[in-house]
Amino acid sequence: MFSKISLNNVKRSFKDYFIYFITLTFAVCIFYSFNSIEAQNSMLEMGKNTIAFMSTLNKLIAGASVFVAFVLGGLIAYANNFLIKKRKKELGIYMILGMPKGKISQILIIETIIIGLISLVVGVILGILVSQGLSIITAKLLVVNISKFKFIISVSAVIKTTVYFSIMFLLVMILNQRTISKYKLIDMLNASKKNEKIKLKSPFLSIVIFLLSVVTLVVAYTLILKIGLNPENILFIVSILMGIIGTLLFFFSLSNFFIHAVQKNRKIYFKDLNIFVLRQINNKINTNFLSMTVICLMIFLTITLLFTMFSFKGSYDKLIKGNTSFDASSQLYINKEDQKIKDIKEYMDLMNFKYDNYEKHVFFKEYKLNITISDLLNKYLTETEKKDFEENYLDGPVSTIKLSDYNRVIQLKGQSPINISEDEVIVVSNYEQMNSALESFMKNESTINIDNKVYSIKNEVPIKENIVTTGSYLDFFYLIVPDNFSGELNLYSTGFNVMFESKDPKQSEEIFSNFLNDISENVEYTSIQVVGNTIEDVHLRVHGSTTMIVFLGVYLGIVFLVSSAAVLALQQLSDISDSLNRYNTLKKIGVTDKLINKAILQQNLIYFMVPLALAIIHSIVGMIVINRIFSAYSSSIIGSSSLMISLALVIIYGGYFYATYVGSKNIVRNS
Amino acid sequence: MSLSNKLNYRGITMQNILNVEKIEKYYGNKGNTTKAIDNISFKVDKGEFVGIMGPSGSGKTTILNCISTIDNVTTGHIIINGQDITTLKVKDIEKFRRDELGFIFQDFNLLDTLTAYENIALALTIQKRKNTEIDNIIKNIAGKLEITDVLKKYPFQMSGGQKQRVASARALVTEPSLILADEPTGALDSKSSRLLLDSFEKLNKEFQSTILMVTHDAFTASYAHRILFIKDGRIFNELIRGRDTRKEFFNKIIEIVTLLGGDSGDVF
Repeated sequence: MFSKISLNNVKRSFKDYFIYFITLTFAVCIFYSFNSIEAQNSMLEMGKNTIAFMSTLNKLIAGASVFVAFVLGGLIAYANNFLIKKRKKELGIYMILGMPKGKISQILIIETIIIGLISLVVGVILGILVSQGLSIITAKLLVVNISKFKFIISVSAVIKTTVYFSIMFLLVMILNQRTISKYKLIDMLNASKKNEKIKLKSPFLSIVIFLLSVVTLVVAYTLILKIGLNPENILFIVSILMGIIGTLLFFFSLSNFFIHAVQKNRKIYFKDLNIFVLRQINNKINTNFLSMTVICLMIFLTITLLFTMFSFKGSYDKLIKGNTSFDASSQLYINKEDQKIKDIKEYMDLMNFKYDNYEKHVFFKEYKLNITISDLLNKYLTETEKKDFEENYLDGPVSTIKLSDYNRVIQLKGQSPINISEDEVIVVSNYEQMNSALESFMKNESTINIDNKVYSIKNEVPIKENIVTTGSYLDFFYLIVPDNFSGELNLYSTGFNVMFESKDPKQSEEIFSNFLNDISENVEYTSIQVVGNTIEDVHLRVHGSTTMIVFLGVYLGIVFLVSSAAVLALQQLSDISDSLNRYNTLKKIGVTDKLINKAILQQNLIYFMVPLALAIIHSIVGMIVINRIFSAYSSSIIGSSSLMISLALVIIYGGYFYATYVGSKNIVRNS
Repeated sequence: MSLSNKLNYRGITMQNILNVEKIEKYYGNKGNTTKAIDNISFKVDKGEFVGIMGPSGSGKTTILNCISTIDNVTTGHIIINGQDITTLKVKDIEKFRRDELGFIFQDFNLLDTLTAYENIALALTIQKRKNTEIDNIIKNIAGKLEITDVLKKYPFQMSGGQKQRVASARALVTEPSLILADEPTGALDSKSSRLLLDSFEKLNKEFQSTILMVTHDAFTASYAHRILFIKDGRIFNELIRGRDTRKEFFNKIIEIVTLLGGDSGDVF
């Protein structure tokens, strides 16, 4: 009997529940998809290290999922509380008919179970479909191949999703119980008659608070722009707190300030239904300022998170260019004059490492010159760039390779050797990605003075391919000098590069990867520093970290955006159905449907756009701060990333807005 | 205005505002129909204050709904200010309702989020009136209805009588050709009722407003110039006040109400 009432309730209030249901399904789908990442291993062509990375990524996602569960749990609790409030009268009638509170709770519990079960099943099914697409994205991000396409269902993710959402729903049920037990019958029956309490009435006070909020925000912006992203600085925390308080005050006073401002302008005030729309918004923003603040901050977080993600990925993608020419590279650094082993060849022999004949390899020596990068570039560096160079230890002595070594290195990757005369040098560097100093240097200087001998620079544009494959020092600068170079040369490192030309490069990859990993942990020769990477290691190190950031950004971003849009949609839809009698009155006094629809549109638009607008202003400041960190590399990222972010906003936020508008119109039309 | 709508009445040329011609209204489907209105015809002239009385279920609200374009008739014609509203298109009906009719409801139907001032202003803004004249018009009507003090208040801060006078101001402010009042005193105590009806009388005299009022309350009805009694969807009787005092008219009404079988407990 009670389950019948519940089922009928769910069916009847499907329209009310629709957005809630869609949001839940979407949340389950996202939750499943991201938690099923580890299961994609079977589909991707990955080495041992990548597999290990995938498990790290999975742990990261698992951690983020706990946080996401809190956000979604909050959303579900809020939405549920909201829907119960809307049904106070209905529940009151049950009570007046003599139904005990326990039974009412029972009805609500069954309803929650029905909704939860449906959304869980549909969400997981959708999630399984979405996760197939996600594996393609994983493959792209990690730059690995898909061995063969398999349809993957991750049982562990299904279980995890079910457990997490069951707990959320269970908590919601307990919360419902408490809400119901607190209600008094009289309040339930009169729920719809109650007027919203207007918290802020005085026009003077609202103007003062509004101005105060603007000042607080401006101070917060200036402060953070000055300090930058520096969580250790106490002022950083102060500026964040001020930002939050400013946002809160802004929404607290906005509608009242706005209404007083508009009332002064008779032309707008006395146009169409503007009076009505204004009051309608004022009525709600006043009570919803807290949720508005949270929504605004969530959108801000989403935009900034996505921007950080794009900047991070963009700058690393750019940096890794030219650094992955060889299948594996290793260098032995000479730190002491009297170091026992100075040649990597000797070291390899000592370690009993044998190259197979299909593992083509070359050895080379890297020297340091008596001049420094600062000597060369200081003229063209701004103060901040200088500081940046110092902080990143880029201002030291210039590295150099003799021409014959260099030619062997480039011949290994299939390029033809180059020639220089006795008084020529070649610049090999990717410094152009950081700033314009190298570019100006190449343009303006045609010679370099080394140990009192003048060399002319042979190339006009620097060669942008590194002499090794590396994931640790992505910025490189070398001068290629003639073999009979007369200046002082200090041996800095000896190294080798390998190309795997066997039929099974995976095997060589594993051998080298294991070897290079082992030597870094070798105790016997601990005084000798040997560093090396295989190409997969480099890809993993760079693409791995970008993949983590991208997944985290997209995961949290979508959850934040969906949650905030869903809250707005629920508030708007319930606001419209609460105001139905107002719309009916409007119809009775002869307001056309066209005008009513326009009023609904205006109302929805303002409601959705105001938090978004402030969030965008916040985000611009946030993006400037973030961009400073990546600015060296990512000046061209802003355009493409803001396009992607706008797209996400338009699709998700815009989608919720459109659904709300259509829903609102239908509610009014069908009354 | 066509000539046929002007008729000679007591030697004065009167404009005929409302002309109800043989209207019928059926509810239900084949084999199970209810006649809510059964062949009713009547006319209302400009400046008249007409009451419609009848017991519950007699069809008086249906008549009002048909005249106010909220409901449509099954057969017959309703001509308001020269326009046959039974043949109007949906779009024109909206415009017609906005420009020609004023409504006063039993439950006021004020927008609770708006102040009294804004409630009245809204009726003008949806007619796209100039924003410069709105303020003056509102202050003027508020003075007439004695609601100047409550203009800044919200409906929940007003008494029932004040609410109804604000609602009346909203109905009158657009100067409609016909004001339709559905049980305007239904939710008011006797003192508020009297105040409201006094202002109706005043407006009717001063502005020549034409009022058609549905009520089942004899006291409220006694303010009208003419009363149509409806029973079972038909006009049962018509009572004209003429030179009677309100007291005399009231007694006549009570007589007919008793005859109609309505409960005279409805008097006050």
